[in-house]
Amino acid sequence: MAVKWDIGQPCTWYDVQTELPAAAEVVVIGGGVIGSAIARELTKYTPDVVILEKENDVADGTSKANNAMVHSGMGEEFGTLKQRLNVKGNAMYDDFVRGLNVEFWRNGMLVLFAPRSLGAEITANMTPEQVHEALAVNIPGLLLQDGVKKGIPGQRLVEREELFQLEPYVNPDTFVAVLDPTYGIVNPYKLTIALAENAVMNGARVVLNTLVTDVLVEKGSVSAVVTNRGTVKARYVVNAAGLFADEVARMVGDDSFKIHPRKGATLLFDKDLVGGLVRHSIAMARIPPDPHTKGGGAFPTVDGNIQFGATATEVDDKYDTSITAEEIERMLDRYPYMVPGFPTSAVISAFTGVRAPTGEEDFVIGPVEGAAGFVNAAGMQSPALASSPAIAEMVVEILHEMGVSSERREGWSGERPVCPIFSRMSSKDRESLIKGDERWGHVVCRCETVTEAEVANAIHGIIPATTMDAIKRRTRVGMGRCQGGFCGPRVAAILARELSIPVTAVTKDGEGSELFCCDTKVLLTEMV
Amino acid sequence: MRRLKPDCAVIGSGPAGLAAALAAWDAGLKKVVLIERDLELGGILPQCIHDGFGSIVFKETLTGPEYAQRFIDRLAGTGVEVLLDTMVLDLGADRKISAVSAAHGVVEIEPKSVVLAMGCRERTRHNVLIPGFRPAGVITAGLAQRWINIEGLMPGRRVVVLGSGDIGMIMARRFCLEGAEVEGVYELMDHPGGLTRNRVQCLDNFDIPLHLSHTVTFIHGRKRVMGVSVAAVDEAMKPVAQTERFIPCDTLMLSVGLIPENELSRKAGVELDEITGGPVVDDTMHTSVPGIFACGNVVNVYDLVDYVTQTAETAGRGAAAWVQAGGPEPQPRIRVLPGRNVSYVVPQYVTSLEREVNFYFRVEHPEKAVIARVSAGEEVLARKKAKMVRPPEMVRARAKPREFAAGAEVSEIIVDVVGADTAIEGAGDE
Ligand SMILES: Cc1cc2nc3c(=O)[nH]c(=O)nc-3n(C[C@H](O)[C@H](O)[C@H](O)COP(=O)(O)OP(=O)(O)OC[C@H]3O[C@@H](n4cnc5c(N)ncnc54)[C@H](O)[C@@H]3O)c2cc1C
Ligand SMILES: Cc1cc2nc3c(=O)[nH]c(=O)nc-3n(C[C@H](O)[C@H](O)[C@H](O)COP(=O)(O)OP(=O)(O)OC[C@H]3O[C@@H](n4cnc5c(N)ncnc54)[C@H](O)[C@@H]3O)c2cc1C
Repeated sequence: MAVKWDIGQPCTWYDVQTELPAAAEVVVIGGGVIGSAIARELTKYTPDVVILEKENDVADGTSKANNAMVHSGMGEEFGTLKQRLNVKGNAMYDDFVRGLNVEFWRNGMLVLFAPRSLGAEITANMTPEQVHEALAVNIPGLLLQDGVKKGIPGQRLVEREELFQLEPYVNPDTFVAVLDPTYGIVNPYKLTIALAENAVMNGARVVLNTLVTDVLVEKGSVSAVVTNRGTVKARYVVNAAGLFADEVARMVGDDSFKIHPRKGATLLFDKDLVGGLVRHSIAMARIPPDPHTKGGGAFPTVDGNIQFGATATEVDDKYDTSITAEEIERMLDRYPYMVPGFPTSAVISAFTGVRAPTGEEDFVIGPVEGAAGFVNAAGMQSPALASSPAIAEMVVEILHEMGVSSERREGWSGERPVCPIFSRMSSKDRESLIKGDERWGHVVCRCETVTEAEVANAIHGIIPATTMDAIKRRTRVGMGRCQGGFCGPRVAAILARELSIPVTAVTKDGEGSELFCCDTKVLLTEMV
Repeated sequence: MRRLKPDCAVIGSGPAGLAAALAAWDAGLKKVVLIERDLELGGILPQCIHDGFGSIVFKETLTGPEYAQRFIDRLAGTGVEVLLDTMVLDLGADRKISAVSAAHGVVEIEPKSVVLAMGCRERTRHNVLIPGFRPAGVITAGLAQRWINIEGLMPGRRVVVLGSGDIGMIMARRFCLEGAEVEGVYELMDHPGGLTRNRVQCLDNFDIPLHLSHTVTFIHGRKRVMGVSVAAVDEAMKPVAQTERFIPCDTLMLSVGLIPENELSRKAGVELDEITGGPVVDDTMHTSVPGIFACGNVVNVYDLVDYVTQTAETAGRGAAAWVQAGGPEPQPRIRVLPGRNVSYVVPQYVTSLEREVNFYFRVEHPEKAVIARVSAGEEVLARKKAKMVRPPEMVRARAKPREFAAGAEVSEIIVDVVGADTAIEGAGDE
């Protein structure tokens, strides 16, 4: 479903209450896609919901750095919670994003069966005919059967001729492919921001820069949430703390699971140079699976770029969002095989997210014994983004059972208007906006064509953007091929002006990430 | 909405755009429009406050702003219309330009000819895939130059520089002059990336060490750069693990190359050269799309602004002549090919040898005591002696107008570099 952009509607500047409230019916810990989806779903029943987020913005954890795919459930082991919620969540997606004005479409997934799909250790004892039989018939057949069992609609085999019509650039040695038409791509950080903003429009609050340090339990029920900024009384607490969900669970005595961080690096390519080279998400079957690139492939993004990713590396540090030389090498070795001739020099960005799996490798959703009112939404590794509508629904059902009203509030609206987006407008619309406000005529980002007005709107949005990265997530400034070389000075100046702070206080992503040490000449005076 | 129908529209007002607009005007075009997205004219030059501009064109060395000002002053005496704060968003093969500005709203331009002069942009850390975190404090040299020289802001106190391009070396010195510490400059290649004069004046004179055959292997720091790992590289340019060491710093400044900015050219369907990254042009700077000309760093990264100015004057004159001739069909062209020890040549085509033609090219590897030649079959069109040629320093060879136009039919021109002793007899040295 392509989004229709409403142009010319007035863009409201919000002045939202962001103080820590003394009490709330439900506190949601964590402003990732999961916390935001749950909060929004909750507002259908109660407005008294608060999201507490330790960072300066929502979508500042794993929800900003992933492969943005709405999987079908194909890749998950049959019968697991994540498999079931994935199949369900995927089917809910169109309704989920309706009204939010977030890019989402079902571009479909093609799983290639190519010579490298079978490891050399396996093919060593096979004749070429056997290899062909396995890769063109048997294994794809098993995948399709598995799909039927899981209830994934529409999967089918695609023979070579059709494959190269659909995707002319994929590996010409491919035997066959399996098409899964329900796969989609979404903008994950915009989705998270939209969910949180829509929750706010329906009465919830989002309080940023607030670290939950304890959850108090009295007489077997949660009573309050302690933060670095004070305490909030709460009857219900949802643990959507992503990588830190095990630590939050332990606050109420639940040590039934442990999160072991597993990072994934992704390369992003220039849309002008690679856009349209593949339109479906492209993956390749691999037996045995490569533990370091599980599920990876070449995936288009909703903005027209293509990404290669992601790697899978177990790490000790939950904050390890680095990319290593080996990871880069592995990606450049593995993925171009699926799309030979891919111009790998067109990389414009590389980023890393950290998955939050438990030892059992499944979602952990449910109440905790001895802490009534507390619900875990943990173990949120892939496909949690894809499953998020179903996860939110499940968590809210549990909360209903615990006592949160299950009566739909009147006046709830899933509509979340967005400010106009200059790059997608017609000349006529541009003209009329510039007439009304000349900041629409100042293009501050040359690569993505973003105007000063859009930057200002982001800063004064429902969830205000107060850092360079937060503005980037909302407007795309700095996401193009020059990576902020041109727009950096302009955006920093606008941010300083709108927040009434000196430019030297502007940060990339919160305290400690200041862009400047001082004004010029200051270091010289320090020297004498 | 504003609509314009000029004889020539020049996109970009750096030294290339300024000189092209002036040349088109001087050649007699009545309506010339110069479009610039910034608030002032001059392109990159206003932030280049060091000297070293103009030694060929003006026979003196000026700062960037001074160099630009000479053209801006001349422009004031012409009827060239200047649109500042105006961003060109689209260009078609039919030369239609769509731009926006705060003052005029949407601007639609239907020019008879176009000169592309959008300059270039810097390669980023991702273009060279430096491993590590993505903290604040990783900046390109040109951006650092803008922050310090225009905005008055210091990006950091202790700087490591990767890449020894000219801007990197100039900015290393600038950081020193501002009281910051520059730990060193690390260069992947076994030779400096920029001009020798910059190495001496910017690094040696400021005791900034230059580490050749080294690279940054990791960027540390989650929020702000806390340091970088560096290592020597082997012959295959791979880091040698045993040589890796950590350097504490708060800033990593990159000077790892420039890329011609050709998004608009691509939209218009202009043929681009894979090696230069810019449009394929002929000796009048005409691109593959009729009526669209190009000059300056959008064509190829020239090291010297003087060369930029020269190509721009050619482009401006070329556009004027094409318009005045009523937009003739493309003429047959002679292909120009790189020969021995030449990586590429601009222009890639020549339409006529009856005019003077400047050939700009780079060598593949350093070589001493050479002669650069431009030849058509047996005939040597230009030759130039050089004590030393190096890849970072562009070479220019000028072919004088051929005296007898009825010379032998030329099908191909070769530009090559040969040892001084193997050179053959031919046209006089430049
Ligand atoms: C490389 C990679 C690729 C992926 N690709 C896909 C994909 O294509 N499709 C898909 O469905 N899924 C994918 N995933 C998984 C998906 O991104 C995550 O499962 C999902 O984003 C998790 O959302 P979350 O809200 O649980 O976590 P997060 O987004 O991390 O949000 C948790 C939030 O809680 C906050 N928080 C933590 N502790 C506290 C505290 N004590 N107090 C206050 N706030 C706290 C954090 O700051 C954070 O903002 C991928 C993941 C990775 C790493
Ligand atoms: C940081 C830096 C330092 C340098 N230092 C030296 C030196 O010391 N000595 C020397 O001889 N040379 C130096 N050079 C090289 C020299 O300055 C350049 O070769 C020269 O400026 C290139 O001129 P140009 O007109 O092609 O491009 P630029 O000067 O970059 O001008 C291009 C102009 O086009 C405008 N533009 C681009 N796209 C659009 C659009 N879509 N719409 C409207 N306008 C647009 C830009 O805003 C810009 O003003 C330096 C170059 C750089 C980048």
